[in-house]
Amino acid sequence: MNVILVGMNHKTAPLELRERLSFSCGDVVRPLDELLRAPAVREALYLSTCNRVEVLARAEDMEEAIARVKSFILRHGNLGAAELEKCLYVYCGSDAVRHLFRVASSLDSMVMGEPQILGQVKEAYRDCVEQKASGIILNKLLHHAFRTAKRVRTETAVAGNAVSVSYAAVEMAKKILGSLEGRTVLLVGAGEMSELAARHLLNNGAGRIIVANRTYARAVQVAEEIHGVPVGFELLEEKLQEADIVISSTGAAGYILTPAMVQGALRRRKNRLLFLIDIAVPRDVDPAVGRIDNVYLFNIDDLQGVVDENVRNRLQEAEKAEGIIGEEVLRFAEWYNTLEVVPTIVSLREKAETILRAELERSGSWLRALGEEDRKNVEILATQIINKILHDPVTGLKEESQSNGAMPYVAAIRKLFRLEAAESPQDASPGDKPAEKETEPSEGY
Amino acid sequence: MDTLFFKAALAAYFLATAGYLVSLVARRVVMAKIATWVLGLAVALHAVHFLDMYTERGFNVAVNLFEAVSFFAWIVSGAYLAVQARTKTRVLGAIVAPFAVLLMMLASLGIEGTLAIPDALQGRLVPIHVTLSIIGEGLFALASLAGVMYCIQDRQIRRRRMGGLARYLPSLGDLDNINHTGLLWGFPLLTLGLIVGSVWAKTAWGGSNWAADPKTIWSFAVWCFYAFLLHQRLAIGWKGRKIAVLSIAALVVLISAFIGVNFLSSVHKFT
Repeated sequence: MNVILVGMNHKTAPLELRERLSFSCGDVVRPLDELLRAPAVREALYLSTCNRVEVLARAEDMEEAIARVKSFILRHGNLGAAELEKCLYVYCGSDAVRHLFRVASSLDSMVMGEPQILGQVKEAYRDCVEQKASGIILNKLLHHAFRTAKRVRTETAVAGNAVSVSYAAVEMAKKILGSLEGRTVLLVGAGEMSELAARHLLNNGAGRIIVANRTYARAVQVAEEIHGVPVGFELLEEKLQEADIVISSTGAAGYILTPAMVQGALRRRKNRLLFLIDIAVPRDVDPAVGRIDNVYLFNIDDLQGVVDENVRNRLQEAEKAEGIIGEEVLRFAEWYNTLEVVPTIVSLREKAETILRAELERSGSWLRALGEEDRKNVEILATQIINKILHDPVTGLKEESQSNGAMPYVAAIRKLFRLEAAESPQDASPGDKPAEKETEPSEGY
Repeated sequence: MDTLFFKAALAAYFLATAGYLVSLVARRVVMAKIATWVLGLAVALHAVHFLDMYTERGFNVAVNLFEAVSFFAWIVSGAYLAVQARTKTRVLGAIVAPFAVLLMMLASLGIEGTLAIPDALQGRLVPIHVTLSIIGEGLFALASLAGVMYCIQDRQIRRRRMGGLARYLPSLGDLDNINHTGLLWGFPLLTLGLIVGSVWAKTAWGGSNWAADPKTIWSFAVWCFYAFLLHQRLAIGWKGRKIAVLSIAALVVLISAFIGVNFLSSVHKFT
């Protein structure tokens, strides 16, 4: 398969380097124009995100193309060759296809399963189509990548559960309270993580946020940022009665919420379920509170535990996803391989057709003596004979194409049938320009 | 009597159960979705079965034990489907469907039996009494099954076992709501059923609204138990685990009243 992929990602190259590269390529030059100027590169896709810079290309000559792409990166990254070699990975053939599929399916992402990458690949492909840098191979390949990503997303849970502590809080709140619609959140103290969790809760339907702080001015300040209601610390017990979710993160040395306080509030709120999140270190909530019925207390370690569990789950799912990707790579290779023999089959048919036309022409005189109907019958008979004769070699070629050994047969057929040997099979394939049917990037995926 | 639809319904209940269990083991919500549709099919087939009986012999369903049990299974499953349409608590089916299968298997032991209704149980009020009581008890049973799942989920969350089962079980809030709804609707229906029964008893047994029969006593006990639960819920504000545990106990009493005590009763039993 004449497909190559050269690139670097967050695992192989430091941010500083990726930054330099994506800058210069994004704004200053049109990377695709420059890449396609090399005769070895027939089609190209340039993908640049904050975690990766990759070039995917269909190459005329793989070695040559890889060298060209490398020098392109070298130039724009202002890098030394040795430094470059360390960060770059190069994939050829089905490895390149697999890598693309993994990237699109978010298996290669920094946070595995994050959804943005697919959009970024689609964006890159749109640019590629707009600049007419894609042909039949990349069109097919990219659509196949989108389909694979969709399969991975629907058939596995790689993107399943929260992998950040603040989002794990939302997940747990849903597990305990059910719908978050109209729930009240009480923030005790303020901190980056608790504000983030509060924001997530709001986005998931929570109705109201109350901010309690020892210094009232600070409470007002935080409340303003997240559209909450500020209250003084003296109202804490009273507000405990209204809240469904409490996020505590003060810098206090002792416990702020005691079992007696919570029990009292619980009685006044008629035992409605209460979810307490204690992300303060040292802890704000007496652990004994967690043993009260209808009160669920999670501290920072518990939430981290949820995250770890989810990460483990994603890794398990990732194995399933790799299986799906393996299948899809095979499927693409199958399609690609038939491509090798298609031009030969076409010229074989064309040759037969030419012979038929010529022979009918030559026998024109006596054919004309026949009636209209008989003339038609003779033509049909001749066509059928040709089809029957060609049937076996054509199916044979298609079959051989799947086992990677088609080239000798292609050569033999070309030689024996004296098909013009000028072109390499790749060039004769119908698409050096984008094929109509496959150009549209947003084609329903 | 044709039991084709009954058997088809039993098979569908069974399939739904299998679907729910597979969804729990394979951890796939899709399977639970499919199982929910199959359970819907089972309820529909079961309804056709009742319709079939109704056309055959009028409004006299559920007067023998086995039919009553089958009607009970239908109510619990139907009520569950109605509830889950609102709350999306599909996995609760993993408890409801097997419960229905057990009841249906019990029912199938006698569904083809002859129908001999004792004199005391022949009268216009009897079918109303039976239907209302069973619907009430069915809703109570659903409340209790939600309680069972509540206890499992509560345990998972308290032990921080978030990776496995807990991820697929419904939220505590939803389960508590189902428990609430079941109690709230079951109570007036069973109350009405018992009142109709006692009105009928006065005519059938001459003079008294009450007969010291094991079945009557147990039924009254069930009513008291659930009345207590509902009172604690509404007036005292008990919620969550405490109610869930008590609901499970109440279900045990209910099942005994429904099936076990039947064999002790002389004047009031299903045939």
